[in-house]
Amino acid sequence: MSETRADFVIIGSTPLARLVAGLLASVHGKSVVFSGESQSGYRLPRAIDLSVAPITRPETWGLLKAGLPEALKLLSRIGGRGAWSRVDPIFFSEAAAGKEALAHIRHMALAFGHAAELVPASAIGPGRSGLLLRDAVLLHRPTLEAGLDRWLDQHGVRRCGESETLTVRSSGSAELVSGADRIEIEQAVLADDAAVIDHVPGPLWPALLTRHVTSTIFTEPTRPIAATVMHRLDTGLTLVQQPGRGIAAIGPGAIDPFAAALGTLLGREREFRQAGQSSYEALVTVDAAPAVGRLRGSGPDILAGLGPSGAFLAPAIARWLCGKADPAENAWLGARLVDRRAAPSAVAEYGCAA
Amino acid sequence: MRSQPGRLGIERQHHLQGSAIDRDRPLQFRLDGRIVSGFAGDTVLSAALASGIDAAGRRDGVALALSARHAPAITFAALAGDHQRALPMERTLATNGADYLTTAQKVGGNLVARLLRRGGRSLDIDLDRSDALARPWLGTPAAAGPEADLVVVGGGVAGLSAALAGARRGLRVVLAEATPLLGGKARLFGTQDGEETPDAAIARLTAAVAKTDAITVLTSAEAFALRPGVVRLHQVEMPDGTPTGRVIDIHAPHIVLATGALERLPLFPGNRLPGVIGALDAFELAQLYGLWPGSSALVATGSSPAYRLAMLLTDAGITVPRIIDSRPHPQSRFIEFSKAYGITLAAGTIVASATPARRGNGVVAMPKLSMEGFSRTEPALPVDRLVVCGGWQPDLTLWHMAGGESAWNAGGMRLEGRGGPEGTVLAGSAAGWVSRSACLASGGDAVDVLLGRHRRLVEDRLIDPIYETPDAPASVGDEPDEAAQPVFLDGGWRHIQRPRRVVSRWPAWLPFAPKPPGWSLADTPQPLDIADIAAGVQLGAIPATSAGIVAQERVAMVVIESDQPDETAHPAGPLPLPPPWLAARYAGATLWLAVPDDARTLDAGALIHTNADETDPLKAIGVIVRIVNGTAVALVDGSAGQSASVREPGRAVGIRLVEPYRA
Repeated sequence: MSETRADFVIIGSTPLARLVAGLLASVHGKSVVFSGESQSGYRLPRAIDLSVAPITRPETWGLLKAGLPEALKLLSRIGGRGAWSRVDPIFFSEAAAGKEALAHIRHMALAFGHAAELVPASAIGPGRSGLLLRDAVLLHRPTLEAGLDRWLDQHGVRRCGESETLTVRSSGSAELVSGADRIEIEQAVLADDAAVIDHVPGPLWPALLTRHVTSTIFTEPTRPIAATVMHRLDTGLTLVQQPGRGIAAIGPGAIDPFAAALGTLLGREREFRQAGQSSYEALVTVDAAPAVGRLRGSGPDILAGLGPSGAFLAPAIARWLCGKADPAENAWLGARLVDRRAAPSAVAEYGCAA
Repeated sequence: MRSQPGRLGIERQHHLQGSAIDRDRPLQFRLDGRIVSGFAGDTVLSAALASGIDAAGRRDGVALALSARHAPAITFAALAGDHQRALPMERTLATNGADYLTTAQKVGGNLVARLLRRGGRSLDIDLDRSDALARPWLGTPAAAGPEADLVVVGGGVAGLSAALAGARRGLRVVLAEATPLLGGKARLFGTQDGEETPDAAIARLTAAVAKTDAITVLTSAEAFALRPGVVRLHQVEMPDGTPTGRVIDIHAPHIVLATGALERLPLFPGNRLPGVIGALDAFELAQLYGLWPGSSALVATGSSPAYRLAMLLTDAGITVPRIIDSRPHPQSRFIEFSKAYGITLAAGTIVASATPARRGNGVVAMPKLSMEGFSRTEPALPVDRLVVCGGWQPDLTLWHMAGGESAWNAGGMRLEGRGGPEGTVLAGSAAGWVSRSACLASGGDAVDVLLGRHRRLVEDRLIDPIYETPDAPASVGDEPDEAAQPVFLDGGWRHIQRPRRVVSRWPAWLPFAPKPPGWSLADTPQPLDIADIAAGVQLGAIPATSAGIVAQERVAMVVIESDQPDETAHPAGPLPLPPPWLAARYAGATLWLAVPDDARTLDAGALIHTNADETDPLKAIGVIVRIVNGTAVALVDGSAGQSASVREPGRAVGIRLVEPYRA
């Protein structure tokens, strides 16, 4: 049996997971193992990657604004022109609390130099408030994923095979066994919801994280919606209309009730047929803010609750994992540790359960 | 028979005279204004095919064949526009004097073009529209169906056997069959030594079912949605001799899915041209309705039962110039019989492509010898009909809708059912059984599984592979370029195509050279039928290990109202002040009533700064939280009378803190 060592194993299938793995290897010179499926080309999405989000905290806007040019340069180099596009997403709400948050998000976006416009009710339906943010960046996962996988290979990131066994220990270290070979890995990073659910045992489960049944429904082509990307603050439902006019809807609930809610939202003029659907568990933090860092201070690193903008924070997260983050990054990530107290929360976002 | 050019003659004895039709009772009806002739027992589809209509319409300018899985919905002309009462062509019995319209949009064009097309071989549906062949009844609310303890979906030998077994166990059984007749597909596959004939087996089982009061039979009843404990189906009934559709839910604790197997479509350019047809479809149309347009047929297969069809065709007077088989050294009892018929066989050969014949309604097939790394294009073969068989895929559509799992069997090159939901089991070829004896036994076994009884032994009695070569995977012909006919992954109405090869005169490494299009099935805005998934695995677009989960994700599910809680509902209640997302934002901040220096209303959500020159949001000292009774409530660390500045779009507004806010 041969035995080798690695610095990190990154577990997850999202662009964030791949970017963190690749950055640790390419920029920070770490030896990295990556465990995640390449499935964006044929599986339904469970999340989207958008450079803006319904964020109320100024430090988060600041971190995203500072990191976006670096992230875009990297994404363009890795995925080419088709890996991302500019969109004008609409965030909307029907609830008074959501409308209040939306009003603040508008001012926050404007303060950070983001073009933000109120959306008339005629575009999104009566009783709703909407906010359109111009020139956001939407990642195209199927295209980007292929580029990211090539990039990981170029930088010597070792990919876990199906026949290999990866074990994450509560100490944060991990072991990969491949036939007669064994790799001892110093630190595991659980970089998406499925990875956290799969690898964090019940007794160690952080109080901050809750598991929610979530569904994705993909519709056959239907009439255009008000914007390519729409997000409903009240429920967390996200709509993405594809070039072929099919809509990918991601939101809470099991498939049938979610489909019924989607039908109500889209209305009679946009009756739809389902072209695909899946139901799974997603993680939500109690205070609706990101949760990062080592479980119980010394366990595996968690990356959860980062919302749609997580991929754009990958360079900062990679630096932080290597101890090379700048003070703003350190402060932001340090305030969002997975073991923090959720009530009261100093970093709560809209949607917090408190 | 001039009015029915697609009907086989009965001048000689053969087995394809049409067991479902009564040639002594001719009938006529209108379809989109044209006269269609048929016989009692015909469906609207079989009569249309008999009358020479063999194309559904055009997609990207290419005509595509009309078939049971690729036919538009119809409605009575008097009910035009009421699509909720639409009917399926393939399940609606033809009635004399009826006047039907297809519900789908027609191909456009000027008056001359439309006149030229009139009376042709096509229904002229605009297949570029995504809803061209949609089933309007999928969104119809369901009425309550008959009460049942067991629903058996599929009236083939396995389903019949399951229904009888259920009745024997004292269950009230509903047996739902999609076609107008019970019996299923067993007839094509012939008989093994010692077995009764398929016809005898079907007659015995249907007679037993008819005599069993505990079994309610619903024919022309297609199940299109399933959850554990409930089946939703659309049935065409004939009250007063008029076809009428209804959607019903049947609730039952036990469900047997005996949905059979779908025939895979070989993947070559032109695989859905009019004149190209699957062996099973062709056999059923010929056996039940005596349908066979043209006088010659090329059979291209990787599965032995297609040889049986070739022999039956020869008996019926159809010329079969050749059978081409993708298997390099096929052995079968059917092959030996075919040789005795004098049919030329070509092993290790596939159809590389097919094109419409220059004259007439036939097709020109391009065979290609493809064996053991050697490949050679053979001379083109013009025929009236190209019969293709790409093997069999268990129909797990409803299984996946119910939450059943499946996994790719690399040996059989097909998806097979695995763990399923409580109360739902597979039987027959849907469960992966191949032989008729196993399908029969699996029906009873499925009921035993549901009732928790001791299971019976089910065994596939297969002939030794030395004598009966196993099926080959669906053959893969030429990759289509921009000029080629399209390659479809399946014969249904999803129209999922294999991407075309982009030919470029520029080297690929040049930055402006056209890049091959990525093939993202995730972005394909149609459901993927199970045969699409199988083809996707063959073409490398879906990893075999993920085929099962993709099939489950991309099945065409229809919402069935459920008792599950709606997690999207948002709790209503008084709004907290300040809202939790402002907690700990500004050290020492409390709620204050704030008034602007000018007579105006402040903007809720706006940031408060110490003075008008400060614009950095990270240095804000507070926020206007809410407007209460026309006055702004601010969250800010301040004192009574303190001045500050509110940053609103394009300007700063001076404010003054008046007094602490009290709710």
